[in-house]
Amino acid sequence: MAPKKLSFLKGAIVLVCACCLSLTGCYDAKEIDQEVFTLVIGVDKGTGNMIRVTFQVSTYKEDGGNGGGSQNGGSAADTGELDGTVISTVEAPSLIESINMLNSASNRQISLSQTKMIIFSEEYAREGVGRYIEPLTRFREVGELMRVLVCRGRAEDYILENRSFIGGSLPKDIELSFLQSANTGYYPDVFLNEFYVRLLSPYAQAIAIYTAINDFDSLPEDGMEKGIIEPHPDLKPGEIPRKGGNKREMLGTVVFSGDKMVGYLNQNETRFYLLATGKYKRGLFTLDDPKSAGDFIVLEVTAHGAPKVTTFLENEIPYIYLEMLLDIDIAAIQNRENYFLNPSAYLELEKYIETYFVRGMEEVIRKTQQEWNSDIFEFGKKIAGNFWTIPQFEEYNWLERYREAKIDVKVKANISRAGYYFHPRPIEPEK
Amino acid sequence: MLEAYALVTIVIITKIFYTFPLTTIKQTGTAAWYTTLISCVGAIVFFALLYLLLQRFPQKDLYQVFEAVLGKKVSRFIILIFSVYFLYYTGINLSEFVTILKIYSMPFTPKEVLVAGFLTVIAAMAYVGLEGIVRVAYVLFYLIITGLVLILILAIPFYDFNSLKPWLGYGLGVSASEGFLKISAYDSVIILAIIANSLQGLKYFKRIGLSCLLTAGAIFSICLACILAAFQYTAGSGYISGMYHLSRIIYYSRFFQRVEAIFLFVWVFASVIAISAVFYIALSSYCRVFSITNHRPLLWPFLFLTFAFTFLPSNIYEIISVHVRLIRGYSVFLIVPVPILVLLVSIIRGKKGGKASGT
Amino acid sequence: MSEKKPKNIIWQMLELISYKKTSRPKTFILPEMDEQQSKQRQESNKRQESEQQQIPENRQQSKGRNQADEQAKDTSQIPGGQEQKHTQAMVVERAGQRRRIPKKPLAASEVKSARVEKDQVKTDVNSNLQVLRQAFHVPENKDLIIRDIILPNKKRGFLAFLDGMVNKIIINEYILRPLLEQEATSQSGNTKGIALEDIVLTNDTQSLKNINEVISEILKGNTAVYVDGLDYILICETIGFEKRGVETPKTEIVVKGPQEAFSENLRTNITLLRRIIRNRDLVTEFFEIGEKSSTVCAIVYLQGLVNPLVVREVKRRLENIKIDFVVSAGMLEELIEDNPYSLFPTILNTERPDRTAASIMEGRVAIILDGTPIVLIVPVTLNALMHSSEDAALKWHNTTALRMVRFCAFAIAILLPGFYLALTTYHHEMIPTELLIAIAKAKENVPFPTIIEVLLMELGFELIREAGIRIPGIVGNTLGIIGALILGEAAVSANIVSPVLIIIVALTGLSNFALPNYSLAFGVRILRFCFIFAGAVLGFFGLALAAVLLTLMLVNLKSFGVPFMSIVAPRTKRGKDIVLRWPLWMQEKRPDFLNPLDSQRQPEIARQWTQQDPE
Repeated sequence: MAPKKLSFLKGAIVLVCACCLSLTGCYDAKEIDQEVFTLVIGVDKGTGNMIRVTFQVSTYKEDGGNGGGSQNGGSAADTGELDGTVISTVEAPSLIESINMLNSASNRQISLSQTKMIIFSEEYAREGVGRYIEPLTRFREVGELMRVLVCRGRAEDYILENRSFIGGSLPKDIELSFLQSANTGYYPDVFLNEFYVRLLSPYAQAIAIYTAINDFDSLPEDGMEKGIIEPHPDLKPGEIPRKGGNKREMLGTVVFSGDKMVGYLNQNETRFYLLATGKYKRGLFTLDDPKSAGDFIVLEVTAHGAPKVTTFLENEIPYIYLEMLLDIDIAAIQNRENYFLNPSAYLELEKYIETYFVRGMEEVIRKTQQEWNSDIFEFGKKIAGNFWTIPQFEEYNWLERYREAKIDVKVKANISRAGYYFHPRPIEPEK
Repeated sequence: MLEAYALVTIVIITKIFYTFPLTTIKQTGTAAWYTTLISCVGAIVFFALLYLLLQRFPQKDLYQVFEAVLGKKVSRFIILIFSVYFLYYTGINLSEFVTILKIYSMPFTPKEVLVAGFLTVIAAMAYVGLEGIVRVAYVLFYLIITGLVLILILAIPFYDFNSLKPWLGYGLGVSASEGFLKISAYDSVIILAIIANSLQGLKYFKRIGLSCLLTAGAIFSICLACILAAFQYTAGSGYISGMYHLSRIIYYSRFFQRVEAIFLFVWVFASVIAISAVFYIALSSYCRVFSITNHRPLLWPFLFLTFAFTFLPSNIYEIISVHVRLIRGYSVFLIVPVPILVLLVSIIRGKKGGKASGT
Repeated sequence: MSEKKPKNIIWQMLELISYKKTSRPKTFILPEMDEQQSKQRQESNKRQESEQQQIPENRQQSKGRNQADEQAKDTSQIPGGQEQKHTQAMVVERAGQRRRIPKKPLAASEVKSARVEKDQVKTDVNSNLQVLRQAFHVPENKDLIIRDIILPNKKRGFLAFLDGMVNKIIINEYILRPLLEQEATSQSGNTKGIALEDIVLTNDTQSLKNINEVISEILKGNTAVYVDGLDYILICETIGFEKRGVETPKTEIVVKGPQEAFSENLRTNITLLRRIIRNRDLVTEFFEIGEKSSTVCAIVYLQGLVNPLVVREVKRRLENIKIDFVVSAGMLEELIEDNPYSLFPTILNTERPDRTAASIMEGRVAIILDGTPIVLIVPVTLNALMHSSEDAALKWHNTTALRMVRFCAFAIAILLPGFYLALTTYHHEMIPTELLIAIAKAKENVPFPTIIEVLLMELGFELIREAGIRIPGIVGNTLGIIGALILGEAAVSANIVSPVLIIIVALTGLSNFALPNYSLAFGVRILRFCFIFAGAVLGFFGLALAAVLLTLMLVNLKSFGVPFMSIVAPRTKRGKDIVLRWPLWMQEKRPDFLNPLDSQRQPEIARQWTQQDPE
């Protein structure tokens, strides 16, 4: 047992340590209400070398959900107040710097820890986003789970329309809106982490969600146009013919090459793209009825797992075979044609559907190869299997040679169900 | 005996939470996941030699074998080197841990405070001694493994194992040489030989050692493969702590995301146990050299030395490129050859411990 | 000599986490491998074949004793004067070691012998009377009643007893009457012919020659009878004081299961136990504790089942307590527990005979102190503290579910406030955004930082709880509920705390009440504040460090030589009644960590009827 003097000394040391520890409470501790949480970041081109960053941060006012900026007089653009959030734009040399600058204006510390999405304006995305993604992946506060979007027009304007119509909670609305991707397949769901990994990847190119504000002027006025029925119009975001509700909408995929936006896939192409990468969950496809022009067949399509991709190299020319199995549930056949009367009709329909999908996917692949030379399908990972070492693969430079690849798509469609009807009777024609 | 297994396994696998994935992936690319298996096989060979050595001297632990073979003076010198190495290892590991903690979780708390808090616990653990450490290790072993498995499972949506291609990484030669150097990732298994007398016999020693190495090898391999699958070799070689990043991308729904902070518990548990075990081994090695019977009075000076070692590297570059490289790369030239040389000497000199020569 | 002075508090706190037994020369050697142990093992093999499967702990324990013997030599050098005896005993106990103090004459007798000149009973009435009068301070003391009698053979004699402690009917009818009517039954006037025992008609008599023993018997409520010329005093059992009957349990209430509790009377309590365990191997040993109060204490165990080492240890500790008086089980607990600084109890308190009996049947030892309705059970482990007496009465699924809830409650009660604090001050990103904004909104008008809020509310809750116990009767409960409701509600609307915190504190409080053991719940309450501190200072990092320390403390804790965390650390054979309670007929083994001599509880097939064909 230690003599008393020594034990006292030890006691004193422990006490001092304890005091030191207890005095540190203020280093990293931050009360929740000391901070404000940014929900959305928008990046626009500023004057000269500067960038304009728009932050949408949530406010802590009670009952902030239903008011909206206009209640307090002045529109959202003037006051920056919108549905329990405040929108402020700042021009700064860099993204992180902009937070600091804004901190001096907003009275609380701005935190990026809860940011749900980052929006680049299309103009900016075409110039390259790498510089602005980098700090986000290095800076500790930023979650890697925010979504990456590219919007037509200015991000600032876009954020000014970013409000919740259903409930009082904007963050919930934003989160849930991305989950809709799984229900429609009209746009992909892209996390910052994924985006960043693909930016660096030697296997594939990055994609982002395409989005815009819909001004509600695409909905044709009554009787304006008639005659042409196009089941798959080439829509950009902001062009969905609709009225009322939320103005912001997401539609299509932005295709990057390196860190620069090179083009976009529209909503239908996006679905074929998602199908080809195995990320497609389910959705409705509307096809022209082969038997009666002007009528449609509506299919509910579920992918049967990811497609099988096999590759080989011959004379350094990559050959890629993509096979996939689709599970089809007929949702509607407008002319009530009975395809289940005999096998040939049934097989014929299957064949028709298969051709439709093959053609659709081939078209998307062709577009990425010919127009942008951007492998967003991650075929590179399969190609890499044909090389032994990383230096060999990097020397081959897949991303550059994507254009040369011979890609063959094979789809097996299986009409497994036909809704409630098995033998529908045609509607008696008017007598 | 599961306690010793838990302890040594934790000591070995704690590296996966640090910069081990970073350096391995940087050097071997997509081959990282089996490079570590090469090291594991190397470590098993090393362990077999260790076993042979101990087998020649039943009922003696490694240090006693040193003494029996090399004589008092030489063996004491070697044990002293071991002691210093382990202390250095403690300090650097602590420094690495605290730096990572600062980067990921507590950027503004001074390093001193974090180290002091950590050392308080280390002091308590070392004060209690080996028995306390192994028991704590055993209790927390399940938690650590559960946490690890949970991270790996929850991040599944982000995996694409096609990212492991091309299979050979930067080439077999690189993998093999790096794999040899990385044997040092497993060399903590020597702790088992040092505490061999507590293990109820060589049979257990063999069994525990092998299962430790195999478990650690499997864990390293799986974790590295998962990191590669999620981040590919390009981004994966950039992140300071690959495992921490895996936990950062866990996303299940809008309420279950960004849960990485909870895995801080696993980090801290593993680090505390690993570091306190090595610290204790350093301490008791020193006691062995000078025949000190009670290790407790030495606690304060050793804590102070560890504290000093912790502040040896002044920046993250030094930690990763100098000290950690030293500990997890070139330490293979210290830890591995010594027992092998001792084995050779004992064979050449024909020294063998009789059955009766138990201590 | 430094040991005599009470050590400063910090050093004592350090000892909390200390581990006493590792101070052995070869620090590398785990005790399992020590040579002494192998010797010990051989010895025990010789002694008892069934003791073969000893877990390391017991070997350690005995090893510890070997060391303790050495240390005892040191201790014996300390001069032990009368006035220092108290402090010394305390110091030895505080160290929590199994040190053997050299045997010394009981201080109690020393005190008394100062007043009574000689211990021997005199052979004449007057001097004996004199001695007794002196001993009991008659005439100032009015409690001792001395009834002079003159026997029919003209011999003088007396009866001495304490008023109120005796059953007067017995004295009148079965002692006085036979003595005075002796002539009618016996032929001659020769008293020596017939022993006094044969005349007196009480069920138990003792002839005592030592006056001190006589005094202690009188103090128990027995009657001393003396007739001139004898060299001994006859003690007749006449105990008959007022006592409380057997009532229903107050603190360990169950729905199913027996509804009787221990009372203050030692005899009654032992009877309650004997009624449950009707086994001739049930042994009761008595000790006297308290040099001034001479409180009787009994240990009860099942011979042939209990590990003799445990019994020996319990006896050793009880015999070597030097304190003036002990009135409650809590005091005794503090005097004999392994580590008095531990926040967790290492001794189980219960007021239920059925639970005590069940523990005895598992191979534990019950310590019953006269005057307390609480029985101490040793050794215990953490999981035993998490069991409740109802567990055996319910179906196994229900019990298992309940225990899960209890373990959750344990974790919540310790961790939740600290966790909340760390979460809201360090790790904001973990909180879902909607909730985060809701918390921030609620906190918007609260001026205090979260730590102050937490402390305020915890303090408030503790106040309500304490006040609820002090306020008598039904009012107490009502006040507790209303107080909590109003205080919480008012605190929120006055913007002193945020509403989430009320939930946190209430949940913690509930969890604390869900813990079946009162002392454990207390320990948890204190620990909670430690975790609040850790969480406030270093966030999750601090919490994790604190958790490691807690684990370290727990795994080093021992209850009478049995590690507190047995089953987990050190690992022992898992029973079927720990967290999961398997059906009763599957619990074939007694707990392994207790090392009972007979580990088989029941045959492999308990429900033998399942083997038979139904008729």
